[in-house]
Amino acid sequence: MAKEKQQKKWFSLDLGSNKQTSANSCGCGKNEGGCGSHKPETTSRPDGYRQYFGQKMDRRDAFRKLTASLMVGAGAVSTSCSFIAGDESKEKAQIDWEEQFKGNYKLMTEDEKKATVDRLVRSYQLRTGKTLKMSSQDALDNVLYGYAFNISKCQGYMDCVNACVEENNQDRKSEMQYIRIHEMQDGKGFNFNEADDNYYHEVPAQGHFYMGTQCFHCDNPPCVDVCPVEATWREKDGLVVVDYDWCVGCRYCMAACPYDGRRFNWSKPEVPETEVNKDQHYLGNRMRKKGVVEKCTFCVQRSRAGKDPACVEACPTGARIFGNLLDPNSTIRWVLENKKVFRLKEDLGTEPKFWYFMD
Amino acid sequence: MSIGLCLALGLTSCKHKEGEYHSVVERIEAMSADYDSVTVSSTPFLGEIETLEVHVHGQRFLIPESKKQIKGFACTECHTGSLEDLPKRRKKKAHWDIKLEHADSHTMACTTCHNPDNMDQLTSLTGSQIDFDYSFRLCGQCHTQEYKDWSGGAHGKSLVGWAPPRASMTCVNCHNPHQPGFPTKWPVRFNSQVQKERE
Repeated sequence: MAKEKQQKKWFSLDLGSNKQTSANSCGCGKNEGGCGSHKPETTSRPDGYRQYFGQKMDRRDAFRKLTASLMVGAGAVSTSCSFIAGDESKEKAQIDWEEQFKGNYKLMTEDEKKATVDRLVRSYQLRTGKTLKMSSQDALDNVLYGYAFNISKCQGYMDCVNACVEENNQDRKSEMQYIRIHEMQDGKGFNFNEADDNYYHEVPAQGHFYMGTQCFHCDNPPCVDVCPVEATWREKDGLVVVDYDWCVGCRYCMAACPYDGRRFNWSKPEVPETEVNKDQHYLGNRMRKKGVVEKCTFCVQRSRAGKDPACVEACPTGARIFGNLLDPNSTIRWVLENKKVFRLKEDLGTEPKFWYFMD
Repeated sequence: MSIGLCLALGLTSCKHKEGEYHSVVERIEAMSADYDSVTVSSTPFLGEIETLEVHVHGQRFLIPESKKQIKGFACTECHTGSLEDLPKRRKKKAHWDIKLEHADSHTMACTTCHNPDNMDQLTSLTGSQIDFDYSFRLCGQCHTQEYKDWSGGAHGKSLVGWAPPRASMTCVNCHNPHQPGFPTKWPVRFNSQVQKERE
């Protein structure tokens, strides 16, 4: 057990056989990850194929790992040993091989994060001939992102939705959209049963008001708790993110989210090459694959650079306010302290970092 | 029974190692107590935009300068005399593209905001001069709640991003002062896949 723990770059599902380990930390019952409160262990563990080569493993382990890697391995070996295959296809095979055996992003060191990002950039270059910029920037210190939405200001134009789709390289074929704008009837409150999120008429319509929903980046995210492989977690700056390469597509998180914040790729996402946003982040808008879950990341590629998310920038009415909750002088803090704010389904205890308010 | 419940609650509420907070609001309060600064800045994103610092309702922040954006400023290049001296009814209008739809004619006319004796300046309701770059002071005379919300950041938009120093758009960046309301329009998007799923 101890040996395995030292080498592992992933989390194992705790089915109750390791009860004694939960004594040392917090009430979430796990001693790593999960509730997002734990720092990844800093002991250096090998990543990629080095996890297997030059490592001591028993026969059973060896068989298991060999079987898992057979497909990739066979392909890579045949390409790399072939005289006919070019240097590029050999490199492609090498990248695929290393990507196959990389660890969970949450457990990677700085260098490993940079290495996987470099591989993904190179892989894209080899496949399309186009260069993109991908970041693995970590959370900034002294930052906790928060969002406020002014219900009196939103007019239902949906500029935010379009900006989000374009910024985040969402699948055009299934017309995926993280944001939903709900047209609600005046005098009925937040009645989602009678609201329409796919209207097409002149807006604002008489007797209606508009409110938007998306991922609320809960401080106590139920989606994170249910993930069996810990492919989704809460970052230090409060963003709830997904490692698309670690997601197994079970969609437990979608069932757990009370806000319909997550989306699933039922088919391979399609974005015309000319429309691909090439300013990317590993945890954000990089291209996804079929069978993985994705969601709003408050545009991690923008917000960690100091910019507003695309929806905030696109909103023509100023209904969307974004900022640093830890900065006492930020505009988001002013809204929380001076306006009458509330959150959606507050009684669930999910602690969304997304507040609604009115003029 | 109730002790057990309390114990269970106590255990589950300890969600974060940062401390034992019952809510995110509590966490924000505790963690921002010793807030220092962040490593990112909005300054690089301002680029060519020239800004000026304003001080409103105890808030200090940047707004973009406006005068250079006005076509044909300074106004005194044409308006050499007082507005009073201009002929009252003329067939050909100089400012043909400006139609005043701001309150009604009992409440507002050109000289409610424009200084008839010095066209390069705006005028407050009591007759003091207001520079075009500080036109928000003019708007704030009547729209007091919006003025307060804007100074705090609840009304309006940030100029380039959330990072400090705070830079906000000013009134005239979104509102046409002569027609400040927004017309109705069609949404920019309709999701045909959702429509299909509903059918």
